[in-house]
Amino acid sequence: MHSDRQRAAASAVNRFGLGARPGDLERIGDPQTWLLAQIDHPADGAVWLAGLPSSVDYLRREAQLRRQLQELRREGTAVKPAAATGPGAKPVNPFVRLYRRAFGEDLRQEAVARWRIAAGTGTPFAERLVRFWSNHFAVSVDKGPARLYAAPLEREAIRPHFAGRFLDMLLAVETHPAMLRYLDQAQSVGPDSMLAMRADRRLARIARGKDQPARRLGINENLAREIMELHTLGAGSGYTQADVTEFARALAGWSLPFPRQIERDGITSAFVYRPAAHEPGTRLVLGKRYPNTGFDQARAILADLAAHPATARHLSFELARHFVADDPPPPLVERLAAVYRRAGGQLSAVYAELIRAPESWTQAAVKFRTPQDYVVAGLRAGSMRIGHRPQPYEGLLARLGQPTFMPRSPAGFSDVAGDWIAPDALWKRVQTAEALAERVPRAGLDPASFARALLGPQLRAATTAAIARAEARQQAIAIVFASPEFQWRA
Amino acid sequence: MANRREFLTLLGLGVGASTLTLWPSLTSAATGGNTRLLVLMLRGGLDGVHAVPPYGDPGYTALRGPLALSPAGPTAAGAAALKLDATFALHPSLGFLAGQYALGRCLPIVAAAPPYWGRSHFEAQECVENGTDTPNGAETGWLNRAAGALHEHGLSVTSVTPLMMRGPSKIDSWSPPLPMHVNPILLQRLESLYAEDPRLATAFADAIAQQHVDASIDRQMAAQAPGAAAPKVIGMRLGVMLRAAGTFMARPGGPRICFVEDYGWDTHANQAPILSRKLAELDQALAALHDAAAPVWDRTAAVVVTEFGRTARINGTNGTDHGTGGAMFVLGGAVNGGRIGGEWPGMQPDRLYENRDIHATTDQRQVFKGLLGEHLGLSPAVLATRIFPNSTRVPPLAGLIGTPAVRALG
Repeated sequence: MHSDRQRAAASAVNRFGLGARPGDLERIGDPQTWLLAQIDHPADGAVWLAGLPSSVDYLRREAQLRRQLQELRREGTAVKPAAATGPGAKPVNPFVRLYRRAFGEDLRQEAVARWRIAAGTGTPFAERLVRFWSNHFAVSVDKGPARLYAAPLEREAIRPHFAGRFLDMLLAVETHPAMLRYLDQAQSVGPDSMLAMRADRRLARIARGKDQPARRLGINENLAREIMELHTLGAGSGYTQADVTEFARALAGWSLPFPRQIERDGITSAFVYRPAAHEPGTRLVLGKRYPNTGFDQARAILADLAAHPATARHLSFELARHFVADDPPPPLVERLAAVYRRAGGQLSAVYAELIRAPESWTQAAVKFRTPQDYVVAGLRAGSMRIGHRPQPYEGLLARLGQPTFMPRSPAGFSDVAGDWIAPDALWKRVQTAEALAERVPRAGLDPASFARALLGPQLRAATTAAIARAEARQQAIAIVFASPEFQWRA
Repeated sequence: MANRREFLTLLGLGVGASTLTLWPSLTSAATGGNTRLLVLMLRGGLDGVHAVPPYGDPGYTALRGPLALSPAGPTAAGAAALKLDATFALHPSLGFLAGQYALGRCLPIVAAAPPYWGRSHFEAQECVENGTDTPNGAETGWLNRAAGALHEHGLSVTSVTPLMMRGPSKIDSWSPPLPMHVNPILLQRLESLYAEDPRLATAFADAIAQQHVDASIDRQMAAQAPGAAAPKVIGMRLGVMLRAAGTFMARPGGPRICFVEDYGWDTHANQAPILSRKLAELDQALAALHDAAAPVWDRTAAVVVTEFGRTARINGTNGTDHGTGGAMFVLGGAVNGGRIGGEWPGMQPDRLYENRDIHATTDQRQVFKGLLGEHLGLSPAVLATRIFPNSTRVPPLAGLIGTPAVRALG
């Protein structure tokens, strides 16, 4: 193979994909064709995801669980905190205990499915894009009510739309229980809505004769703000606090079915629009007036946000930064943004431009693997089979600082090298390399060819020499995984 | 950086009872005996001359220079060696083994090697493990075939099954979740690779420096609290694995055949401090095995094996290169020890193999055959055909098992 072509193949597999499996560099044929083919059809996760419950299923079971708990509480026995079982053991909140019993197996299956996709997918570029958007629309499972829905958000809202129109993905995400709960939208109520008025009267009755003033229902700006700042326009793109507040009023009423409603009426959708919680009136957002059309009011705002030039630029910058370089060439970002606008937010067109861009294939195009990508690359390199326990891998990621679906903020995990290169982090990567190397079936494996098959021309002479000096195959494999060129995706 | 110690502590957890209870209770196999055999493989090539210094050999000090040890007192290479007899001592880090030697339960075997005398790690390890006389002689391991002949489930304390344990006989495996410490030789290799990467070099160097700080804190803590020695062993990977192996073996119906492996013995440079630490880890880990296997210790034999010894002379970087004859240890309550096994060929230049290595005088298969025969009851015919194919002319080393004739006195 021609050396430029080899280099491009290694970039396609390692920088655009999830990391080479032995043989990939030869197998993929023309790198650009291989990448383009992956955005033409849905990401091939279906096999692994079949049979997982939908958000609607989860909501129903959550409602049942809540009722069980209420019944137990009425009986007044079993809801006491479990007795401490050992020295220093903390009593477990009874709801947490029931929740674990009810959903622990689902959470395990969700995690296993995601690891199996990562280790086994034949469309790794598509999978990278799914994960890119999943992090763009970050939710965190350390917010309890959102916990069950983080994986379904990716399955239900992102996966079907990752190569479609951005607006479709945006709508699917902002109406998903994961996002509605994570960013506190579910409880947001317009201050002049019917619901708020009724509640005011009730609260006033209750508060009468007491000193404390009645707490009013109101809007929560969290989702509106993050949609503008993180999901669409981007920070510093010119919107104001007034825009956020107005948008939040328009969003009031976007919610999810309450347990009692689910139990009483049954549900077919995990999203509910509550006219009674919606703030009446026309809204003014980014200089444009939106008449009160109920649900469609915020929907119309989202459509305009998705089509906004700032959004085109923000998303283009993030994509270029994800696949090309921490500081992507501005002309590339501009071209991607232009394509986004021209194509009406059709993401496959943007990806195609990114793949064809000469900037994507230069020597300057280098990224540092995040911990998640690093572990996944090791699993793929070693053709490792994911068993039934995700805990070892989840544990690795937690120690490496990137626990699955648990970023520290709605901004998601960092996508630049500086945030991941630290002494302790590198140390843990070396430990991870040893742990992963132990799990690679090493019978008959020639470590030097193994390294070449993974890294192609990115493999450096010094690393080849270190591999040759290794005292055992396992150590040679650990050197490959721990080598600087395996940390980078060139 | 502050949380690395926390991290290591975290890794030390989760190795306890809950995982050990996963061991299936085996129905008693139809094999009469109830003895236990553990094989510990040290990958990388342990320097036998460093572990069992032949201080009485007239060639020793000259060839070893700054790496030479002496029972008479400290040298540049470390504290006073632990005298075994008029010729041999043990490395000062091997206090537990010296104690077992005094009890007659430790048998160092000198100048042993697999039948393959090339100097490739991979090929030599394959030869040790497949039990034939060549690296490609078999695709299964002798310990697996031995387990099969005994109708036993072997236990491999590894995450993937190494060649020695691979084969038709079903093998169980167990491993601690993550390595506790990074293999120092792996680090040595990586240091030069990272030095070339401008963006990673500083962070990596800082990580190494921090590791030294952590290690010295560990030492201080250990010095302040001598009673805390046991958790210290738990913190080390080999200690964790041997303790686990001992615990499994001690259970009623526990595995009779066990395999454990360790890395980091390829000491091309700066050998004295590396081996001081590695041998101390090995010694403490074997002590942990002894403690955990206490209920069956008198029926236990453990054999420590490596793929080759190292050059008799030291090289230009205070290390040694790949050699031939090396040391083995046979250890356990069933072992007839307190003496040196094997034949010492001498270290004078004219006695060396190819003028560089300790000449191997014992085929490792002789030791394995001796143990499988005397300790586990496999017949010579089975040993010479099924377990070690075409090895009729490789006689078992006799007298490895039994009560020592004369107890060595302190």
